[in-house]
Amino acid sequence: MGDDALADLAQLAADLGPVLRPRGNEEFLQALVETARLVFDAAACSIALLDEDEEGLEFRVAAGVGAEMTVGLRIPIDRGIAGWAVVAGQPIAIDDVRQDPRFAADVAETTGYVPRSIMAMPLESEQRTFGVIEVLDRRQSGGEGAEDMELLALFARQATLAVETSRIFSNLGQALFEAAALAAPGEDLRSALEKRAIAAPRAQTELAELALLFHDLGRLGGEERLAAARIVDDFLAYARKRQR
Amino acid sequence: MKPAWAWQFEPGTLQRIDTQLPASIAREWAWGGSTGAGIKVAVVDSGIDGSHPLVGSVAGGAVVLADPDATRGARVIEGPHEDLFGHGTACAAIIRAAAPDAELYSVRVLGEKLTGRGAVFAEGMRWALANDMDVLNMSLSTSRADYYGLFHEITDAAYFKRAMVVCAVNNVRMPSYPSQYASVFSVAAHSGRDPFHLDYNPAPPVEFGAPGIDLEVAWLGGKTIRATGNSFAAPHISGLIARILGKHPGLTPFQMKTVLMAVADNAS
Repeated sequence: MGDDALADLAQLAADLGPVLRPRGNEEFLQALVETARLVFDAAACSIALLDEDEEGLEFRVAAGVGAEMTVGLRIPIDRGIAGWAVVAGQPIAIDDVRQDPRFAADVAETTGYVPRSIMAMPLESEQRTFGVIEVLDRRQSGGEGAEDMELLALFARQATLAVETSRIFSNLGQALFEAAALAAPGEDLRSALEKRAIAAPRAQTELAELALLFHDLGRLGGEERLAAARIVDDFLAYARKRQR
Repeated sequence: MKPAWAWQFEPGTLQRIDTQLPASIAREWAWGGSTGAGIKVAVVDSGIDGSHPLVGSVAGGAVVLADPDATRGARVIEGPHEDLFGHGTACAAIIRAAAPDAELYSVRVLGEKLTGRGAVFAEGMRWALANDMDVLNMSLSTSRADYYGLFHEITDAAYFKRAMVVCAVNNVRMPSYPSQYASVFSVAAHSGRDPFHLDYNPAPPVEFGAPGIDLEVAWLGGKTIRATGNSFAAPHISGLIARILGKHPGLTPFQMKTVLMAVADNAS
């Protein structure tokens, strides 16, 4: 890698890193399931994310009964209540899961704790489905007044934002580092990023191009940077409005 | 407990429908004496256990699998298959209760892996249309923006064939497909238990409300289970549509919406 590219990369990482780096994704998700468990007054709450091959779910964080045994556990996607929620893209709540022989056997085998009730909601963004949040044995509330599923949707939304932000950041980081790694001796970061953009699949190309723009923006004067930030800000506001 | 969108059907929130048609449409006219005989309903879900006492029988079906080598990314294997989760059986039993003589077909699109899910859903819908299904019950959805065009094309094809596509809406307040399109019957749960309690929401995209909260539904192993979700509301509407079609075959999807709106519990 050329000295120029290394210097540029170091500068870029120093400038953008603190702004873009999400703090402790797993810790955030852990805090989220702990909060959800308390709010629902539930026996347990957990989040499982899809494997890379999209055939299984791995529990990443859990709070409550059996939490230690749950984290790291992998369940197949083609059965069970949580599996259905993920493949159908629909939330579901079952109040007497022990009636489901297959589910009960699966769960008992893995955590030793068979709940009475389960509420599961898929985690999905506009780009992909990537996991599920589930609540076991929440308090049996009055029914009519309780809006558990609406509430769980809010927790799911937060988890989605955290995971997606983290993913975008790591993809961006990957694009930058790959560009730096591929740079020829003496080549600067700009042309290395251009090459990376041409070689990458579409979604990553866009990210690499974005990185390229930020790289160029960083070299402008203060006023120009401020103006650019405003334009990006306005665009984001417009894009969010369109999505609603 | 309430799934998202259920709030729209709460008393005080749900608007009265004051629109008057030149002649009134009553439930007796709509489905009185009908059993849904002669109507084909596809449950596009996780499979159907035809031996469940609340289901009775399954007339046929197919399993759709993701296949990157296939032209449209999925392939179809026709024939009997089991229900992997229990949910398709729940939907089938709800439809059976409303339309006892309708023919139920299972189109299994849920299971295996998640990769290629959009192509699998789409191929399942195409199979149902190619096999002349009158009603497609889809208690599933995707928020993936890149499927917008694909599902739009297929729901249009369904409309032109007079096939009624009934979809559960997602739980999040962003567009989900295929429930988002105007020709689709989009359904969320209201808190009623009467299977014939039907609400029409004059402020869509969520257009119909049906029971879906704390219901006793059919499940695996011939059992029943207490369940909540918009996914259980959709088959209530599918069942009513099959019942109406049994008596009035040839209605178009928009005529069907007109009938359902006219006989809704919140209609004048």
